[in-house]
Amino acid sequence: MLLTAFIGCTAPPVPPVVVTVALWGPLGELAPTGSEPALASIAQPWVYDKLVTVDANGELKPILASRLERVSNQQVRIELRPDATFSDGAPVTDADVVRSLESDGLSVAPAAGALVIQSRQPGLPIDALLLQAYVFRESQGRVVGSGPFAVASQSASELRLNRRIPRPGRVNEVRLTAYKTPRDAFAHTLKGDANLIIDVEPRSVEFFRDVPSLQIIHGAGRSTDALVFNPALARPDRVQLAEALASTQLRELAYGATECAEKATTPRSDVSLGTGRGLRILSWGPFERLALATRRILAARGGEIRHVTPQQALSLIAGGAFDMVTARPLRWPPGSMALVWRTGSPYNIFGYSNRTVDRALENGDWAAAEAALRDDPPAALVCTHDHIAVVDARIVNPRLGPYETLETLPEWEVAR
Amino acid sequence: MTRRRIALLLTALVATSGVLPLLLLAVFGLQILRDRGERASQEALEAIAAQAGTRIATYIVQQREMLRAIGTAVADEADAARRLADVSLDAPSLGKLRLVSTETSPRELPRMLNREQIAAALRGNEVASETYIAELSPAMDVCVPSGKLGRAVCATLDLLELQRQVQRIRIGEQGYALAFDRTGRLVAAGSGAMRAAVLSGEPVAESALASGLVNGTPAPTRLRSGDGRDVLAGWTSLPNLGWSIAVEQPAEEALRGARTALKFLASGAVLTLLISIAVGSAFARRMLTSLELEERFKTAGRIATGVTHDLGHRLTILQQIEQLAAMNDADYLPRIRESLAGEVSTLRRFVADFSDLTREAKPADFLPIELNAFAESVRLGAQGYAKEANVTIELQPAPSKLWVRGDRYLLERAALNLTRNAIEASKPGSAVRLRIERGNGAAVLAVEDRGQGVEPDRIATLFESFSSTKRTGAHVGMGLPNVRRIAVAHGGTVSVKSKPGEGSTFTLSLPVSGDQSSSPLAPATMP
Repeated sequence: MLLTAFIGCTAPPVPPVVVTVALWGPLGELAPTGSEPALASIAQPWVYDKLVTVDANGELKPILASRLERVSNQQVRIELRPDATFSDGAPVTDADVVRSLESDGLSVAPAAGALVIQSRQPGLPIDALLLQAYVFRESQGRVVGSGPFAVASQSASELRLNRRIPRPGRVNEVRLTAYKTPRDAFAHTLKGDANLIIDVEPRSVEFFRDVPSLQIIHGAGRSTDALVFNPALARPDRVQLAEALASTQLRELAYGATECAEKATTPRSDVSLGTGRGLRILSWGPFERLALATRRILAARGGEIRHVTPQQALSLIAGGAFDMVTARPLRWPPGSMALVWRTGSPYNIFGYSNRTVDRALENGDWAAAEAALRDDPPAALVCTHDHIAVVDARIVNPRLGPYETLETLPEWEVAR
Repeated sequence: MTRRRIALLLTALVATSGVLPLLLLAVFGLQILRDRGERASQEALEAIAAQAGTRIATYIVQQREMLRAIGTAVADEADAARRLADVSLDAPSLGKLRLVSTETSPRELPRMLNREQIAAALRGNEVASETYIAELSPAMDVCVPSGKLGRAVCATLDLLELQRQVQRIRIGEQGYALAFDRTGRLVAAGSGAMRAAVLSGEPVAESALASGLVNGTPAPTRLRSGDGRDVLAGWTSLPNLGWSIAVEQPAEEALRGARTALKFLASGAVLTLLISIAVGSAFARRMLTSLELEERFKTAGRIATGVTHDLGHRLTILQQIEQLAAMNDADYLPRIRESLAGEVSTLRRFVADFSDLTREAKPADFLPIELNAFAESVRLGAQGYAKEANVTIELQPAPSKLWVRGDRYLLERAALNLTRNAIEASKPGSAVRLRIERGNGAAVLAVEDRGQGVEPDRIATLFESFSSTKRTGAHVGMGLPNVRRIAVAHGGTVSVKSKPGEGSTFTLSLPVSGDQSSSPLAPATMP
């Protein structure tokens, strides 16, 4: 009886849940920095910590920092969390922060028990840069981080990560597995070899419906499918084009009635695109349909569509050989506007420049920046897609975002 | 046999003869119902499969018709390439349309159409590939005439919509549809657990059946599905497309309704049986009670008749003695005394016979009795009566001791009754024989006389109450029925063999109880 009572009172152990992420393409190396992010970079937020991240409202939230004080839009003062350690056991020091952030275009200066951080690229808001900067240190030839997970092993097709201090009821092991094609990744996920797949297109979601072991989750998208104008086009033309193209009509033609997060807007029937030569549309990757739809909306002004590879597109953009180009610029958090549209930003590959926008961004006045962008539009923003992922049904509260797609994975709970 | 047992037997009889056939009928009925339920489910699944097949075939036909219309309308236009590209906005299922000619680079030709097919298309024929999985969804390459020899309009039909249609078919809670191509490859699956095979191309349990169906081999309607469950299935094939459609539903779910009905009916049948047994039992007991009461009244009547008759006879004699005594004649005194003594003796026996009826045999109180010694005791007990009748009693014991168990008093009353009857039936100077023997595993006490014997038509009722023919005074007809009651109570029998004019043999058979010589209870001897 005592044994029965004992067994009855003891909660059954939670079976460990290993999350295996199915990816397609070369896995690459996991590193805290790099201009060419590899697939393995989705593990960055689990292995490396940033000083700050953003909450769902776009406000900065400390991670490695115990205290954050905004000195100006270009400068913050932070104090490090004293208990933070790297996965090799070493404490996170000011020196580590200085070394890590300087490779991300930030300058760090120790000041009376704190660190003053500012952008080395004038005009770029500190928020946007901090959100991309991970803190790390080199230890015995390896780059280690202070995040909850550490790399256990890595091969060309698999990266294994274990939680540094296992937590009951949480995911304690993650594997990134790279398959050759999306079809392989989907098939292995449906088969149960993998139990997390991200960046699922809406048309493919149906594959995972009614699969008992999986659940489909959505997260707000951070970027928007857009037609970015050649800055050489006259401002009035761009205003007219933006009004004509950021419309329900184009959205539904290109994506259907339900795929975009934007609220319905009434297409402007009085928009006149005037006469003139046909506008050349440059398209690449997944935007062929958007390009075709754009040309139809442009009617007589719709010109040649060139569907090219991303590399060719970059080259043609640099040469200015386009009138509009399909792209997916960042829209959230608001500070990311500065990365895309500020004059001289390394991410502003289109060459857009507007002093009013720059000034608003420097001041951190996102509303003013948006107004200025509407006044002198660099692009017609058409459709923001949800992030769609498919994840093991045993995960209780899987969420995507708000910044990195899988940044909340360490907090996901496993069903008991 | 107790009233309760008789009631149960009666009930069982009624149940067996009445309810059991009904129950068997119900079982057969239920089996038929079950079979029909399964057939009905399979027919419904087949109908759904046929409906899905028709929709799929119609969809393909419509797509190809649309492609033909576009090919004819657009291909000759100057801006044909641009207009064909624009078609994908309005008809995304047609995929990317393009003009194909002899100058088209091989990389841009539909990849699933071979050279001969392309050549046929350029000659103005419509050609189509088998369906295949492109990226994630099924596709089909089709080329239609453009209206000008040497040019064709080609498209890769995106059959995602068909995949969706198949996936959306739901039967009950767990039923689903599967679509297979000509080779048996799964191209769409409503079962999430089987959907990996759509992308991986791995065969599932139904693959061989599906490809067989396209080639004319019927597929089974009950099978073990790809996800390991026992399912009912409806099939249809689309010969032109080379597809076959299976609509499956787990047997457990498909037959749930029939099973529920079966359980309900089976429970009803069992309940009916139980109720009929209970009601039958109650009625049988009530009826038996009524019969017993009636029988008691009859018995009481018979006893009253016997008693009235016998006591009336005795009363007549006593009246005669009284009249004799009233004469105050001293010479009659000895006769009066003798007559009174005789009447007292007769009435005493009369009372004793009734007293025997009140004593019940209790097997728990039975004691070992050695039958040879017992018979000697009986002989001695009847000796006085025999002497009066001028009859001798002979004893023929068994060669060895023969033991029975019983109530000694009752067995003595039975044996004495038979012996005295034999004495009464014997002529003066003749002999009555008590014979002890073992026969057919029983211990036998036979009482033989050489008297008038019993008429054959009387033998059948000889052991029934108040059936005595003597009725001369001390015989109310209770003796032989009491003997039988005592024999039965000891697990034995009593029987008679008789020939008129030659005498009778009454045989009391009792179960042998084995050698009880070591029993501490020594056989009693009648004083």
